[in-house]
Amino acid sequence: MADELDVTIPARLSEVRELSGMVEAFGDANGLPDPKVFVINLALDELITNTVTHGLEDKADAEIRIRMQVDGGTLILVMEDNGQPFDPTQDTNADVTSSLEERAIGGLGLHLVKSFADRITYEFVGGRNRLTMEHDLARAAE
Amino acid sequence: MNIEVAEERDGDALVLLPVGRLDSANARAFESIVMERVDGGEQRLIVDFSRLGFISSSGMRVLLMAAKKLHAGQGKLVLCAMPDHIHEVFRISGFDQIIPIRDTRESALGEV
Repeated sequence: MADELDVTIPARLSEVRELSGMVEAFGDANGLPDPKVFVINLALDELITNTVTHGLEDKADAEIRIRMQVDGGTLILVMEDNGQPFDPTQDTNADVTSSLEERAIGGLGLHLVKSFADRITYEFVGGRNRLTMEHDLARAAE
Repeated sequence: MNIEVAEERDGDALVLLPVGRLDSANARAFESIVMERVDGGEQRLIVDFSRLGFISSSGMRVLLMAAKKLHAGQGKLVLCAMPDHIHEVFRISGFDQIIPIRDTRESALGEV
């Protein structure tokens, strides 16, 4: 078993920077291709933005726990937060087709998260949102 | 959090080169810089991605806002020199259908 990542951060946008460095180190330790590290960091940026801007309602003790491991040919990323219950897998589809004039500003982040993940599941357990994303690594090497 | 944005002028076109990461931590700073230029009357705007390694939807949102505002005022935004992994994000978002993306700065200058 290669290195795992298990980190809990305060729910603040400024935390995405330090986290991205940890993900890059995790990618190096596990031999992940750069495009995969990129989409993981993209997903974390989108999900943390979503949690911080919609799910916390100024909760002072808000925190986000991120765990990552490679199991066989699959990268498993689990993100938990203690914000309001919110299932991002049920979020309505983003507008990706209308004209420049009509195109909605926003709503794109979760579309990107779902587009890049091979499997994604949501649970609300022990008062926490838990999102599990799986990325098949073989596909990235193609 | 701030973002370094280099600026170069080519004729009446303004080229912005964001450096490093454009993410949820510094998208607001990028928005201030870009919209200040647009509100200041720039009509031909190019964002060159050659020095950018990461972008999330927070940053893409700023480009969409700028493209809409420029378009409404008969101006134009063109993007160029985008790394493959970022181009893929623009494709999945359908942004490549509404904001022109060119391989090179020269091509973008011809388009804008």
